[in-house]
Amino acid sequence: MVGAAVAVIGRGAEVPVAGVSHSLAAGLPERDPLGPPPRSGLAIPRPRLLTSGAAEITLWAPVRRAVAVHEAPSARADVTAHVPASTPERTTNIVVIAGSTRGERELWVPIRTRAATGWVPRDALGGYEAVETRLLVDTAAFTATLLRANRVVFRARIGVGTAAAPTPTGSFYVRNRLTRYRSAFYGPVSFGTSARSGLTDWPAGGFVGIHGTSRPEILPGRVSHGCIRMRNADILALARLMPVGTPVEIT
Amino acid sequence: MHLDLDQLDRDAALRETAAGVPRETRKDFLLGTLAGGGAALAALVLAEPGKAASRTDVEILNYALTLEYLQAAFYTEAERRNALRTKLARQTTRVLGAVERAHVRALRDALGSAAVKRPFFDFGGVTEDEDAFIRTAVAFEDLGTAAYKGQAYRIDSPALLAAAISIHSVEARHAAWIRYLAGAPPASSALDEPKSMGEVRELVASTGFIVERPRTGSRAEPRFTG
Repeated sequence: MVGAAVAVIGRGAEVPVAGVSHSLAAGLPERDPLGPPPRSGLAIPRPRLLTSGAAEITLWAPVRRAVAVHEAPSARADVTAHVPASTPERTTNIVVIAGSTRGERELWVPIRTRAATGWVPRDALGGYEAVETRLLVDTAAFTATLLRANRVVFRARIGVGTAAAPTPTGSFYVRNRLTRYRSAFYGPVSFGTSARSGLTDWPAGGFVGIHGTSRPEILPGRVSHGCIRMRNADILALARLMPVGTPVEIT
Repeated sequence: MHLDLDQLDRDAALRETAAGVPRETRKDFLLGTLAGGGAALAALVLAEPGKAASRTDVEILNYALTLEYLQAAFYTEAERRNALRTKLARQTTRVLGAVERAHVRALRDALGSAAVKRPFFDFGGVTEDEDAFIRTAVAFEDLGTAAYKGQAYRIDSPALLAAAISIHSVEARHAAWIRYLAGAPPASSALDEPKSMGEVRELVASTGFIVERPRTGSRAEPRFTG
C-alpha cells in the first residue's frame, strides 16, 4: 500500500478536488481553501523562571490543629512550644515556614517560633502561601518601612512601647487583619502579629499589634504598651499593601 | 501501559472522594468557573476588533484559568519547597512551572475583571515527596491535555480556538515529559480521549487540593496590648 502511494506521488499527477489543485508530487494542496489559520487570541508571555529576578519569598501555612513544636523532626524529640489553631481574635493561626521539609514515612516541617526554629508534622499545617513583603520596624527612629520585592513601597512614622512596656525586638510575622470593629482606640484597621510584649499578664497573652490610633497628636514616640501605632491614613495605606504572613523585623 | 488518576494515586492523594472535600469548597470550585462568566463579558476581546467574547468562551477561559492556577501553584510550590531529590525532577519542575505561570498570566490578562480568583491550595505534602509529586504531575498534565481537548468543539471564537490548541499541544508535551520522568510511556495509545468539564471538575474536586482560604481576617475587637 505504501509502495503504491509513493509510485503515484512519484509520477507527479494532479487531482482537482472541489476547486483545489492537489499536487500529488507534494502530497498537499497548492492552495489552502480556508486561508491561513487565525492568530492566537491570547498573548502568551515568555515563561519566566522563579530564579530570574526573584524577590525574597516567605512561605506561611495555616495551623490545622493545635500542635506541639519539637526540637527535631521526630515525635520523640523534646517539645519546645505549643502552637494553637486559632488566635485570640479567633482567626486561623498561621506559622512561617523556616526551611525544607524532612522525613520519609512522615513529613516534618520547620517553623519559626518566638524562641527558635522547631518542627511540626506536615499534616498539622494547611497549604502554603507565599508573600514577597517584609515590614521593618525601627524602634529607635520610630519608622515602619514595608518592602515588596526588596523595594520600599511604604514608610511611616510610628509610636512604639514605653520604657516600662517596650516593643519586643526580633523576627515576627503578621497573623491576622482586623477591620470594622467598634473600638476607635485601634483606628480603622489592625494587624495582629506573633510578637509578644513583656506584659505577660495582659488578657489574651499580650500580643503586639500594628494599628491606627484615636490620638494621632502623640505620634511618633514611645507611647504604647508594646504595639506599633501609626496615623489612621498610614494604617489604611499599609492595609492596601501588606498581606497576612508578612514577616515583621523589629529592631 | 495506560496511566490514569487512580493508577497513579498510590498515596490516595488524588483518590480522596469528593465527599471528603468541604462542601462549600467543592461547590465554590464547581461553580467557580461560571461565577465570573457573566460579569464583564466586554472585558474580553479576542484579537477580533470590536467583537466581545461569547459567554461560553468566557466560561471556558475561566475553566482553563482554574486548571492553570492549579498546575502553576503545584510546580511553583514544589520548586519553593526544594524537596525534590533528583536534578532532572528539579529542572523539569522549574521549566514546567514557568510555562504554567505564563499560561495563567495570559488567561488573566485576557479575562481582565471577568477572571476567577486564584483559589487557595493545599497539596498536603505531595510537593515535598518526589514520588508522589511525579505521579500527581503526570495525572495533572494528562488531565490538562484532556480538558483542553474536551472544550475545543465548544469554543466560538476562532482566535480563542487557536490559542487553546496552542496551549493544548504544550500541555501534551508536558505530559510526555513528566511521563518519561515517571518511567511511563510518553504516548501509550493511538488516540487520546477528551474529558468533559464535568469530569475534570469532579476529578480535581476529588483531590482535595482546592480548599477554603484560611480565615485570617475578622471584625473581632483587637486583643493586642495597644
